[in-house]
Amino acid sequence: MTPRARRAAGRALLYVGAVVLVFQAAFPFLWMASTSMKPPIEVFADPPYFVPKAPTWENFVRLFTSTNFLIYFRNSLTVAGLAVLLTMVVGAAGAYSLTRYRYPGREQIATLILCTYMFAPIMIVIPFFILVKKVGIENTHLALVLAFASFCLPFALWLLRAFFETIPIELEEAALVDGADRLRAVVYVVIPLALPGVIATSIFTFILAWNDYIFTRILISADELKTLPVGVQDLFHSALIDWGLIMAAGVLITVPALAFFMAVQRHLVAGWGSGGLKG
Amino acid sequence: MRRRPIAQQAIGFLTIAPGLFLILALTIYPVGYSVWLSLLEKHSFFPEQRFIGLDNYIYLWGDAEFWQSLWYGVVYSFWTITLQILLGVAAALILHESFLGRNLARGIVLFPYMIPTIVAVILWKWLLNDTYGLLNYALMALGIIRDPISWLGADHIMLSLIIVSVWQFFPFVLLAVLARLQTIPLELYEAAKVDGASAIRRFLHVTLPHIRGILFVVILLRSIWMFTKFDTVWLMGEGAGAGRFIRTLPVYAYMRTLTYYQAGLGAALAVVMFGILMVSTVIYFGLFRREADIG
Repeated sequence: MTPRARRAAGRALLYVGAVVLVFQAAFPFLWMASTSMKPPIEVFADPPYFVPKAPTWENFVRLFTSTNFLIYFRNSLTVAGLAVLLTMVVGAAGAYSLTRYRYPGREQIATLILCTYMFAPIMIVIPFFILVKKVGIENTHLALVLAFASFCLPFALWLLRAFFETIPIELEEAALVDGADRLRAVVYVVIPLALPGVIATSIFTFILAWNDYIFTRILISADELKTLPVGVQDLFHSALIDWGLIMAAGVLITVPALAFFMAVQRHLVAGWGSGGLKG
Repeated sequence: MRRRPIAQQAIGFLTIAPGLFLILALTIYPVGYSVWLSLLEKHSFFPEQRFIGLDNYIYLWGDAEFWQSLWYGVVYSFWTITLQILLGVAAALILHESFLGRNLARGIVLFPYMIPTIVAVILWKWLLNDTYGLLNYALMALGIIRDPISWLGADHIMLSLIIVSVWQFFPFVLLAVLARLQTIPLELYEAAKVDGASAIRRFLHVTLPHIRGILFVVILLRSIWMFTKFDTVWLMGEGAGAGRFIRTLPVYAYMRTLTYYQAGLGAALAVVMFGILMVSTVIYFGLFRREADIG
C-alpha cells in the first residue's frame, strides 16, 4: 500500500471505531425512548421496529396518574438538592482550608479524605443502618441526606481541592495588600474564579446523589419517602411487567442527569487529573 | 499572609473542621462500628444483641454460600475489569484523534456512566428479554442463533451481568486515560514518526509508558469498586432464582442483613470484604509500585 492509501485506510478505521462507540452508548437510550412512546400493542410487535407507528404519551400519563412517580421525583430532587447543599458548603470551606492554610496534620487529613473516597457503600451501609435506628431517624429524609453526604463529601472535597489549586494565590495576596480583609478577598477574588469549578462539582455531586440506590433501599421503607431509583424498581415487581411504563420512567429519570452532565461535560476531562469520579 | 501564623493556623483548622467531623462521623465511625457489630449476634430490626466473639467469622469459614459468593465475585471482577481496561484504552485512543464531531462523540460515550444504575439495568433487561428482546431478535434474524437465548436464566446471567457492567463502567477508564493522553507532548509522536516508527511501535514506546501510571490507579480503583459493586449486581438478579448465580459478596452481605436479619453476620461479611481489599491492595502496590511513580 502507498503511504497515502494507508492513511486513508487509517482514517476509515478511525471513523468506524468512533461510530461503533457512539452507537453502543446511544442506541440503548434511543430504544428506551422509542419503547416509551409506543402503545402496548407496538411494544410487543414482532418483528420489532424503531419508529412508533402511533406515537403516544399514554405511558407517561399512566406513570403520573396511576403510580407515585411524581412523589418519588420530588423526593429525589429534595434529598439530592439538600445533600449537595450540605456537601458544597462544608466541602468548599474544607477545600479552601486545604489549599490556603498551613497547619500540622493537613497532609494527613487530605490522605484520609482520599482513603474514604475509596470506601464502597456496601461497607458503610450496614453499620449505618443500625446506627440510624439507634439514633431514631430511620425512615427519614434526614438519614438519607447524611448518608449521601458520606460518599458525596470526600468526592467533592477532592475535586474542589484540585480546582482551588489552579487559582493563583498571588491574586488573594494582592487583594490583602490593597487593604481588603480575608473575607472580602474570598468573596470578590476567590469565589468568582472558583465558580466554574464549584458549579461543576455541585453537578457531579448531584448526579452521584440522584443515582443512589443502596442507601435509599436500606434506609427508607415508607413508600411516600422513596426516591426514584427505588420507586421505579418497585414498579418492576408487578406480576406482568409493563415495559412501556417502565421505559417512560427510565426516560424521565435519565433526562435530568444527562442534561446536567452535558452542561459541565467539558470540565470533566480537564478536571480528571487529580479529581476523578466515583462508582 | 504569614504575619500571624497562630491565628492563620486556627482559621485553617476551623474551616476544615466541619468536613473532617462529617467524614469521621459518617464514614470512619460506621466502618469502625461494623467491626464491633461483626462480633455480635444481632437481629437487624430489634435492639437485642449478644457478644459472641469470633463466631460469625468461624461460621463463614465453614459456610459454602460464602465461598461460592467469593468465587462469583472473583469471576465477575476479573472479567469486568479486564474488558473495561481493554475497551477503555481502545476508546480513549480513538477519541484522542481529531475528527469531525469529536466533542459530541466524547460526551455521548460517557452517557452510560452518568445514569442511575436502575436505568442501565431496566433498559438492558428489556434488550435481553428472551421473548420480546431486541438482542435475541437481531441474533435470530442474522442467523447466528436458532432459538432464543434465556439471557437472564441461570446459564447466561453472569455473562449478561458482565456485559451490562462493562457497558456501564468502561467510560470511567476512557475518561481517565483520555485525560492523561492529552498531556503527552505531541513532539514525541512527531519525533517517532520522523524515525519511521509504525503506529503500533508508537503506541508501545510513546503512549504506553505515559499511561502506565494512570492505568495503575485506574485498575486499583476499578478493582475495589467492582469487587464491592452492589447495585448493578443486585438489580440484575435480586439474589433469588437465577440471581443465585450472580450472588457476589456484597449481595450476600446485604441478604444476610436484610433478608435473614443477621446484622452481625452481614457486618462480618463487610469486614471480610474490607480485609480482602486491604490485603490485595498491599500486594498490588508491592508488585507494581514502580509503575505508580511515573504518575
